[in-house]
This record gives sequence, structure tokens and C-alpha cells, in this order.
Amino acid sequence: MEKLYGKLLIPKNSPLTNDMKIYTYLNILVVLFISLSTQSCDNPKLKPPREKSPAKNTPQNNEGKTFDREFVRELAREFGKEFAVEFAKQMKGGSPLLISNQDSGSQSGITDKAGNPHPLLVDCSEEVLEFYSKNSDCFKILTSDKIPLTLKWMDGSEETEFSSTAAQKGGTWEVFMRDFPRTLRTIGPDANGAFRSYLLDYNVLSLVHPHPNSDGYFPGLANSWAVGEDGKTVYFRLDPNARYSDGEKVKVSDFFFFFYFMRSKHIQAPWYNDFYGKDKFQRVTLYDDETLSITFYKAKPDIVERVSIRAKPEHFYGELDGEFLSKYQWDPEPTTGAYEALPENIDKGKSVTLVRQKDWWADKKPFFRYRFNPDKIKVSVIRDYNKAFEVFLKGGIDMFGLAKTEFWYDKLPNEHRLVTNGYLSKVTFFNQTPPPSYALRINSQRPPFNDLNVRIGFHHAMNFDMVLEKIFRGDFVRMNTVADGYGDRSHPTLKAREFSVDKALEFFAKAGYKKRGGDGILVNSNGERLAVEVLTGYRHFEDVLVVLKEQAKKAGLEMKLKILEPTASWKAANEKNHQVVFSAFNSFVELFPRFWEPYHSDNAYEEGGDSKYTPDGSLKQKLTTKVSTNNFTQTAVQKIDHLIDQYRDEEDLDRITEMAHQLSEMIHDHAVWVPAWKKPWLRIGHWNWVSFPENWGPKESRDYEEFQVFWIDQDKKEKIVNAMKDSSPVSKDPTIRVYEDYKSN
Amino acid sequence: MIQLNPLTLKKLRRFRSIKRGYWSFIILVSLYVFSLAGELFVNKRALIVSYDNELFFPTYGKQYSGKQFGLGYEYEVDYRELQKRFEEKESRNWILMPLIPYDPYEMDYRDASSTGFSSPSLKRSHFCGTDKTERDILARLLYGFRIAMTFAIGYLVLTYLIAITIGSLMGYLGGKIDMLGLRFVEIWANVPFLYMVIILVSVMPGWWGVGWQVSSLLIIMVLFSWTGMTYYIRASVYREKSRDYISAAKVIGASPLRIILKHLLPNVISTLVTFAPFTIAAAISSITALDFLGYGLPPPTPSWGELLKQGVSNLRTAPWIVIYTVASLVLTLTLVTFIGEAVREAFDPKKFSTYE
Repeated sequence: MEKLYGKLLIPKNSPLTNDMKIYTYLNILVVLFISLSTQSCDNPKLKPPREKSPAKNTPQNNEGKTFDREFVRELAREFGKEFAVEFAKQMKGGSPLLISNQDSGSQSGITDKAGNPHPLLVDCSEEVLEFYSKNSDCFKILTSDKIPLTLKWMDGSEETEFSSTAAQKGGTWEVFMRDFPRTLRTIGPDANGAFRSYLLDYNVLSLVHPHPNSDGYFPGLANSWAVGEDGKTVYFRLDPNARYSDGEKVKVSDFFFFFYFMRSKHIQAPWYNDFYGKDKFQRVTLYDDETLSITFYKAKPDIVERVSIRAKPEHFYGELDGEFLSKYQWDPEPTTGAYEALPENIDKGKSVTLVRQKDWWADKKPFFRYRFNPDKIKVSVIRDYNKAFEVFLKGGIDMFGLAKTEFWYDKLPNEHRLVTNGYLSKVTFFNQTPPPSYALRINSQRPPFNDLNVRIGFHHAMNFDMVLEKIFRGDFVRMNTVADGYGDRSHPTLKAREFSVDKALEFFAKAGYKKRGGDGILVNSNGERLAVEVLTGYRHFEDVLVVLKEQAKKAGLEMKLKILEPTASWKAANEKNHQVVFSAFNSFVELFPRFWEPYHSDNAYEEGGDSKYTPDGSLKQKLTTKVSTNNFTQTAVQKIDHLIDQYRDEEDLDRITEMAHQLSEMIHDHAVWVPAWKKPWLRIGHWNWVSFPENWGPKESRDYEEFQVFWIDQDKKEKIVNAMKDSSPVSKDPTIRVYEDYKSN
Repeated sequence: MIQLNPLTLKKLRRFRSIKRGYWSFIILVSLYVFSLAGELFVNKRALIVSYDNELFFPTYGKQYSGKQFGLGYEYEVDYRELQKRFEEKESRNWILMPLIPYDPYEMDYRDASSTGFSSPSLKRSHFCGTDKTERDILARLLYGFRIAMTFAIGYLVLTYLIAITIGSLMGYLGGKIDMLGLRFVEIWANVPFLYMVIILVSVMPGWWGVGWQVSSLLIIMVLFSWTGMTYYIRASVYREKSRDYISAAKVIGASPLRIILKHLLPNVISTLVTFAPFTIAAAISSITALDFLGYGLPPPTPSWGELLKQGVSNLRTAPWIVIYTVASLVLTLTLVTFIGEAVREAFDPKKFSTYE
């Protein structure tokens, strides 16, 4: 219905004539009537106007020139509320909406007996309060004497800072992005672009942050935290200094609001709706103006980071409605992070400049004080990667990822003038993070891959040794299991199946592919050729697939390559239309790997649980494929299912480790996932005016931007720029550096 | 023998007399014929193998496995390796390799130092160097040329077929058919060609063979580009239709089909012929452009667009890719344009004297 109010009846930005105004009101009446007669009376749309209407939305009808949409909607709401109350009175003799709210609200402490909101929630709008009251099992307000006294509060003081005291503030950090961001929202459609990292992921503080060098945590918005006795509840005490960029204090109620926000349908982000849903985040409890607790559904060993959410500025949003997406498209929310995107610093289509807040509240806070050093981050659009590299060589970009072989060896060789003159450094930093899962994912539902032998044969027909040696020049290593990079949770001995023509032929023969046709491709007794389609969205890895294709011919296998645009390929794979898809997922840095999403049969078929298996454990015929899930291998094995279920319920880390190993083995035996490669390092080139701490960066750095421990040295920059004029060398410091502190095995 | 109209003969003679166009035509045709027999000159398979007193001709037809020549593997024999073995053993066996012993798909990872982008080398018979995965550039250029030319010829034939049919029907029948047809053509012509091709190519099922994919790409391109020519045909047919000889044919009682085929088309054809070379040039450019953007032929099919893309992104490190590809593209398009100019000249009713 909100669409009808907002879009259909009142044309966007068009001044309404008198006739149209009348028409509009009439329409609103009709729509309201329809909505009331078709929906129940506790329609959340029917509520009184907000008392504190944001200044920018004030109606501008005093001169009769234009009508603000907001004003029309307020009127409609007011009318709707009166109508509802009246309607309800006639039906039951009272407003069911208001009465029920007060009941449940007073039980959870959200409102008092008289229906007034709790002092911590005085600024909440009616709708938000109503949401809390309705979900009173999720939102509770207790008094501070209810905080258990036995809690062991932690504050991260035992951890060491990973930044450098030598860091200097100032300068502009120049980076590039491939595409201009389609929005400055950090959630909702189009928000998940590369630019979001600068706004949110690398910037905004969570309650607590996992320490990137150890298994501990360091404080963020919360100064101290404690895990409750049940192992499921974490208590946080907010830092009293925590502020948003607009100067407002971070309040405990913002963490209530976070869930209102994340569960709202208006943000149009089903993944977040689900991720922050009731079934996982069971309860948020406020105790006083700086203490809260969050209860998770399970006592996971890494419970602290799982519930460590960010604050949502309630004072900024107030409440959400159907216009959320358009309203905040270019209006970034106030941030608790160092850098702020201001509308005046956006050059549409060209660049966005983020500015460091002058008196950032965390300026002196341990773990933050020597980070986020540049005054500005200028993110410019350069659509072509090679062009961006040329800009980098000219000094227009400060750092450039050199993971690609041809960039490291051919385009910026060690003998390059810029490197030998000491202007540029080439850095290899060995890190320890779960690698992106590059792999060929076999759809075990589609013939000929419904035969295990074909799948194993396919594994042995993939010459990744040659790919690693020739295309990546031995710098990458083979990934071995479905869960590499999770420390002890990764299987210690399991190895990926090696390239072997003989073994591949042996398994293909077992599956009935025994004879070679005239073109060298195997055929079975029905005359079917052993030809499979390999889909990918990675045009830049075309050469990898070409090598695999040519080598697979030796084993009598033909691979038909289908290289699409990333979105088209993603769509095809999501619809499970592929035979094999070559893709990768970014792995979260977390304690133990996830198996449910990619390997549980509930993500392969619509039929739930064990109903898809016959009593002897084999898969039934004619099941309905489930689309848009991460089970790209269509794995559906009862034993794996059961183990994954147990794994998800398990709370003991040793058992989790053991089960993770078992699962890795079982998936290996099921042979649906041909592991490709992983990079054990980060490799970048940077201008020497960018300085790094002594050991370059923390262990769990996934990219050079993540922890922002570097700084821009203005003096050096001037020196280098001057030296470049006559191409004279600037210093004899080594410019090719390798950091092996965190090199594993 | 087809009896050529004396007028046409005269035009052909005039074409021959325009030396630049004529020789361009000869060169282009020979290049194409050469590329059609490309397997004999540029191929990883040997031309002749003499093994144990038996002669093998592996160029066309079935693969020979390594085992058949005493090598321990079942997959296709590596003839260059075989040649080396024969030479080392100094046996009576011998092998005759083509001039360039590589095919466009094969990666020549011969030793540890070969990791892509080898510069042109006479010793290794990579006359134009190799690309990112050590594939021979010359082989890819040649086979890419063959595909592009075949594609362009197919494109020409199909677009003309559609354009002639629809154009002459509109022109001859006139009236409502003409009016509606023209509107349809106008609408159709406004469908953005490149977008449509990109969209349709991305939904093509991958299990189609390369042949199918190439043909469907051809069909898609034809479907969205036949419109331009219909205007010319329609206009020419309109003009010719009002001539006396057509009225005469009608009076005699010739059927519309006969009139169109027998009387109208031969007189309209000169318009078409002058456009043909430029259509070929356009087809070659668009298939190259599509490949460059990544929406053309499925990898690893050899194609100039793909080579250009590799070349552009490795401009500094492997300049030979761009140099040879651009040179080939310029040469081909220049030849085609010369032919086009000459044809236009030869078919021009107002005889210019520039070339005589």
C-alpha cells in the first residue's frame, strides 16, 4: 500500500494543481478504505504522526506552491489512526491496537503501566515502540541490579595494539574504484558494492572487535564486555565517549533500534532480515544507559564476535517506511567511524572523498589511536583496471594490489625504474586468513555428474599443477580441503586429488566411458560424449580454464567453457542450471567453517529434512530443486546432513574441530568440489610516502586497506615528487620487502 | 556456363582494369583460400609420419594416440616430441611437420622459462610470439582470420537474402504492405544492435557446440542488422518498377515472382554489389568488437578481438600481440575497402575517368 501512497497517486516532484490535490485526497480516502477493509485493524501503517518531524520534511504548503509528500502522508496517517480507533471502538469498544501494546509492553519494561515509554526509549517513535512491544520477548528493559554480579568483565587490556606509535596524521589517501557507487546506503539493493568497505566495513565500529593478531578481542563501542553463565548472553558496557559524526551520543537504545532496522522489510535486504532474525538473536536487554546484553540462540565458542553488532543511529532514521531506499540513497547515516561521507564531497560519477572527523571520539582510544591516519580518503572512479595501474605508476593512486602474476613480474618487475630509484616498494606479506574459496563446483544433480566415478575422474583430469606453475608461476598454492585456513579446524592431512590421466581414465571407465572417439574424447556405450559445460563469471581467469580444458583433453574429457558477465553467471548458477561452475566466495574470518549453506540438502531441494531420502538413505527421485542457495554442488547426502545438524548444535570447540574434519573428509569423498588455489600472502605495490608499521600489518589482514594502520608521510611525498622530476634515486632502503612473520608451514 | 549479360561483363572488365582493387581482391581471396587450407601450414599435427615403414597422414581425420607411435600414453601424440625422438634415435622413421608446428589452441609450455608472452622467435617457430598462455599468435591470427572471413561471408549472404526478399516485396507490392513493412523496419532498426547481441549471447545455452554457438551468434547479428539494406532495395525496386520494360512484362502476363526475379533483381543488383565489400568490412569489425568485449565467440576459439584485448591489457609487456593483430586487421580492412571502392567505381553508371 505504501507504494500506492507514495508513487502512484502523487507523482514524484511534480507540483500539484488544485484539481490534482482534490484528486489526491480522494484517492487517499479510497485507498485507506480499501486497506482497512482488506487488512486487519492493527495495520502498522495506521498510526499517529510523529511528534518530532525532521526539519527537512516540513511541509512547504504555506504559499500553496508545492505539496510535500511527507505532509500528505502525515495527513493520511492521522486520518487513518482516527479511523482505526473509531472503527475498533465500534467493533469491540476500544482500540485493540493500543490496548494490546500496553499489555505486552509493560511486561517487558518497554512501557510502564500507563503506557508511557521507559525513560531509555523516550525518543522512540510510536511505530518503533510498537515493534518492541510486539516482540517483547526480544526486547527487554530491566534494572541495573539485574546484571549478574558474577560476570567476569573483560576490556581487552591484555591485548597489544597492532598499530604503530610512529604513525602521523594527515594527507590524502588516493584509491580507486571500478564503478561509482550506486548508493551511499550501506544496506539494501545495490549497497553491497566495493565502495561500502570505505563507508562501513573498514570504518564503523562494532561493540567489540576480534583482535587480528590473537584470538582475543579489543573494545570498540563497548568499553568492556562479559559472557554470561549460559554462554549465550554477552553483556556490554558502552564507552561513554562514543559519538556519531553528528555529535549525538551512542545510546543503548540504538542497539534495540539496530534490530528494528535489520528486521524491517523496508530495507529490502532479506539476507540481513534473516541473519539478524529472531531465531538467532533471541533477546536484547537494556539495564541502564550504558549497559546492555545480547542473547544468541546458541552458546558458540566465538559468541562475543557473533553478537558484536554496530550501533544504528535511531535519531537519524526515526522510523523506516516504504521510502527508505530513495530517502537515504545519497544521504549517508552518521557514523561512529573515523571517516565521514559528506554530500558536498561527492562528485557524482567521478569520486567520493571521505573526510576524517576533526575531533573523532576514538582519537585517543587504544587500538584506534594510531590507525585511520590520513585526513582524507579520495576514492576515484577508474573503470579500467589496466588504466588504474598506469595511474598508480604515475603516483595518482597510493597503493595497488599486485596479486596478479603479470602485474608482479611483468608490469612492475623488480628492475622497474620506479622500484630501483626507491620511489615504489613491492611488498609480500604472509597473512593467515581463510582464503576465498576458489573451486570448480560440480552440480551432482546433473548427468553425467550424478555418477560419483565421473566426479572423481573429473577431479583427476584437472591439471591445477600446471595452472599453478605456469599461470601463477608457483606463487600460489593448491587448496586442499573445503575448509582451508581455519587453523585447527582445517583438516591437517587431507589433500586435493592430483592430476593423473591414468586415474581419470580409470574412473571414467568405471562410469562406462571406455572408448575414445575420433577427436580423442571418451564415449560411453550409448555414444554419449564425455563433454561438460564449465560456467564462470571470471573473465580474468579465462586462461586458467583454457589450460584446464586443453589438459583435460588428455583424459578424454571435453570442457565447454562458458564465460559470462559476473551477474549473469551468478544468476545461472543460482538457478542451479550449471554442470560445473568456477567461482569463489569470500570467507569470513571466523573461528570455524560453515557447512550448512553449501552442503546441507535443505539448500539443494525444497523437500525438508529427511523427507527427501528413501529408508535406505538414498535420494528419492523427482525432488524439487531449491534455487538461490549456496549449495551449488547440489550435495544431498543423509549422513552429511545429520553431521552438519550436529555440528551446528555443538558448543564444544574440540567436538566442533573433530566434526569439521569429518565433514571435510566426507565432502572430499563425495567429490563435488575441486579445490583450486589459495594465496598465502598479500602482495602490493605502494609509493614510499605510504609508511607501514614495522611488521607491516596484522596477521588476519585480508587486504591492505582493512585495518588502516599505514600513514601518509608528507615530507617523504614531497621528497619523492621532487626526485621524480630528474629521476634521481631517493633512498637506498630496500624496496622489495617480504614479511614472513605469519608464514604458516 | 552462365551467360553473363554483356553489360555485366563490361563492368567486370572495368573492375579488372582498376588495378588497386583488382589486386586487393586477388590477395584477399588467396589469403582466404590459404586459411581454408590452414591445417596444412599451421598445425600441431604432422603432415606425414613414417613409422615402422608405414605412412600416416594425420592432418585431417582421427587422432592418433601416443601408443600408436610407441609412446606410453593414450591421448593424442605430440608430434613435435615424436620428431625429437626420431631424430635422437636416428631411426629410419621420419616426420614432416608443417611450416608452423602449432595449432591455435595448444599451449607451448616447453620448459620452466615459458610462462606466457614469449617474444617472436625464429628458433622456436613462433614467428609472431606467443600470448598469455603460450599459444602461437600467428596460428591464432590465421585461424581467427578464417573464422572472421567465413563469418563475414555468411553474414553478407544472410543479410542480403533477408533484405532482398523484404525490400523487393515492399517495393514491388507497395501500398499497405509497403507502409506497414516500412514501419516495421523502422522500429526494428531502432532496436540497439549491440545490447541485443550481448543479451542474447549471454542466454545461449553453453552445451551447444562451438559450431552452434557461432552460427547462432551469426543469426542473432543478422537478425538485428538486415534492415539497413532494405531501404536501398526498396527504393531501387520502386524506381525500376515504373520503367516500361516492367509494364511490358506485366502486359505479357509474367507473374510477380518472375518479374521480381528475372527482370527487377538483375537491375537492382548493382546497388547491392557496391555495398557488399563494405558489409564484409562491417561484419569483420563487429565480430572483432564483440570478441573484444567478450560477447563474441566462446573461448578458446581463436579470434582477433580476443587477441586485441590481450594485447591492449599487456601493451607494455607484450607489444607484439597488438602490433601483429592491428596490422592484420588494418591490412584486411584496407584490402576490403580497396575492393569496395573499385567495385563502386566499376558499377558506377556515370563512368568516371579517374582510373582509365
